[in-house]
Amino acid sequence: MSKSQIQNNIRRLRFDAHEMTQQQLADEVNASRQTIVAIEKGNYSPSLELAFKIARVFNTPINDVFFYEPQVEKTK
Amino acid sequence: MSYREKENIVNIFSSIVITAVYTWIIYQKQLAGTIDLTDDFQKWGIIFLIFVGVSIVARIIIYIIFSIINAIATREEKIPAEDERDKLIKLKATRNSSYSFSVGFIMAIMVIAIGMPSYWLFIFFVISGVISELIDNGSQMYYYRKGV
Repeated sequence: MSKSQIQNNIRRLRFDAHEMTQQQLADEVNASRQTIVAIEKGNYSPSLELAFKIARVFNTPINDVFFYEPQVEKTK
Repeated sequence: MSYREKENIVNIFSSIVITAVYTWIIYQKQLAGTIDLTDDFQKWGIIFLIFVGVSIVARIIIYIIFSIINAIATREEKIPAEDERDKLIKLKATRNSSYSFSVGFIMAIMVIAIGMPSYWLFIFFVISGVISELIDNGSQMYYYRKGV
């Protein structure tokens, strides 16, 4: 399964928020810890609603949390 | 391993065990001559309905046992709530399962069309039902592991 083209800064933002754990963030946004792990790894692109909820937890604009990174095709 | 993955393993295990045991019981009855399923559509209907009932009851029991063992092993009493990723994974797995059951259904019809005995229709239904369920749970495990 290819990685999502939506990348994020959640790991850094959690660190800045007094080392917030993945479970704490998951509880704040009503998601499972596994979902937060998948988002952080870029294995899952959250819905717009969940993305806004995450941004709200960190009190930051959504584009500081998520950004679009198009995949560059490998050259032969 | 997450709760959902464990749940899928239990589902795979229970569907194989329940189907195997029930099929074996029916097969033994057929061998003993208690029932004759060669051309009796009504009997097949009854057997299928009983199977649905038995399967539901057995699954509930297995699920309760699983929840108790999981709670003791992980010391987590609360079953994690389903979030949007869980729902998406379930949806994709259901799609894969429906495709595979459709293939099984067409094969069952083809078996009848080429003139094989009618009981093969039901045998193909059972086989495609089990396979589609395995694909459902297997797909869920795949998506949980590899991402969706």
